[in-house]
Amino acid sequence: MPSFAQPSQDATASSGFLSSSGVSLKPAYYHEILNTLPALGFFEIHAENYLSQGGPARHYLYKIREQYEITAHGVGLSIGGERLLDKTHLARVVQLVNDLQPAVFSEHLAWSTHDQGFFNDLLPVAYDESTLQRVCDHIDQLQNALQRQVLIENPATYFEFNHSDLSEIDFIAAMVKRSGCGLLLDINNVEVSCFNRQADPYDYLDTFPTEAVGQIHLAGHTLDPNPSVPLKIDSHDQAVCDQVWALYEHALAHMGDRPTLIERDGNLPPFEQLLAEVQQANQVRSRIRRGQHHA
Amino acid sequence: MHEEFAASLLHQDDQVYPQIKGQTDEEKHVRFNVYRNNVFVSLIDALADIFPVTQQLVGDEFFRAMAREFVQSNLPTSPVISDYGQGFADFIRSFTPADSVPFLADMAALEQQLLTLTHTAEYPTLDHEQISMAFAQVANPGTLQLSLLPSTQVVVSNFAIGSLYLAHKNQQHSTIATLTLNTHESMLLAKSGLYAELRVISPAKVVFIKRLLEGRALGDAIPDDEHFDLGASLAKLIEWRLLTHIN
Repeated sequence: MPSFAQPSQDATASSGFLSSSGVSLKPAYYHEILNTLPALGFFEIHAENYLSQGGPARHYLYKIREQYEITAHGVGLSIGGERLLDKTHLARVVQLVNDLQPAVFSEHLAWSTHDQGFFNDLLPVAYDESTLQRVCDHIDQLQNALQRQVLIENPATYFEFNHSDLSEIDFIAAMVKRSGCGLLLDINNVEVSCFNRQADPYDYLDTFPTEAVGQIHLAGHTLDPNPSVPLKIDSHDQAVCDQVWALYEHALAHMGDRPTLIERDGNLPPFEQLLAEVQQANQVRSRIRRGQHHA
Repeated sequence: MHEEFAASLLHQDDQVYPQIKGQTDEEKHVRFNVYRNNVFVSLIDALADIFPVTQQLVGDEFFRAMAREFVQSNLPTSPVISDYGQGFADFIRSFTPADSVPFLADMAALEQQLLTLTHTAEYPTLDHEQISMAFAQVANPGTLQLSLLPSTQVVVSNFAIGSLYLAHKNQQHSTIATLTLNTHESMLLAKSGLYAELRVISPAKVVFIKRLLEGRALGDAIPDDEHFDLGASLAKLIEWRLLTHIN
């Protein structure tokens, strides 16, 4: 197993990322962020939105980077794809990471690119040995290129494959062991996926390899309107719901405090609403830290 | 395995269904449809973001139906979604239902060009003082070579799409109604700040700017056109911050 420097606890011990929660960075908020410098730990970007040579997105990102820590979340590397990672795209991502020095780089346990092109969605992988080896090869390729450990996010899924012969948890645990990657635990994805396959999200959290978790995502979801099969959709366009807050508290009680993102991509609310969710996450984290301290 | 999945995503067939857990085909269909819907909606939304004026010209419903057909046979080739839509203008040109809007493809090409230009690197340009100094230092300004921003482009269309684009962008609805569209128009596309900008220019200015871009000296770039005003044209190049060097 290759060994890469993990996000340094020492270098960032006094920084925002570890101690205070963050929000997704969206163009609609650039001016408000720079004018008001809100008190939060970090901003998370989708790496693929910031790969151009110039233009407003890049300009405002670097202004914001002067004031805040950034985490970079890849949405297009296609870790679960059937071919090696696209070298041209990977080189652009490496350049961004070198320029930006994000606290974390994360990607998804999913695929999005095939011979026909890029599907712009996070498509599901089967949980079997050949997929596991392929995913680990791709994580190796990514970690070697970035020269750092990456975090891989548990997926939101809408069906299971017949030929999966591992559970999602066993697959993820084996992926961590074999590739040396860390994990991004998306609690909303746990709620969505467990609901969609009628599983217990608390059981999922209790068996998740939490020692590898370097970051948490909290987001909102919607209910699919189809009348025949009840499905939750990972839409990132609502506030974090009560079930997800309860799962979050349960997860932290089990594994201890972790850096946390309020992830919002659509139906953007006034920025104060996201700040209120950041504060809610920080309150949970403080309680957990106090509990650990007294224990 | 992804082959069947990809084909079922794009072509609404069910060859991937045997791989999916589910009691009935209806259940498999509903579950798989979440991905189909995500792919099409996200890519159609991406095109709507890249081509807002094109969308306004034909309305949401028509645009989304046209975009859906484009997506089906033209997936993005890169995960950088702002680069998507390179072939969209050509697709529109051959999309028969859009024939009644003959300038639609030119508008899409224009919007694509502007967005691509916006994403190019920023480049320093000369300020007023630097330009005055350069002109003051020579006896015959006609010998000066004025270098423009390297990304500067001149576009000519058979339709007044530049005026139409600006009227839509500035939400001048009364102007849109009175525009004569069936007329040639020349446009200058350049990026001197964070965003690319479009200006409608005269045919004489097109000649002047093209000659400067070719590297001709100022005196040699002046078009043989009685309507051309050198002072006013230079003032515009300065106001638009297009000059990068004067030698």
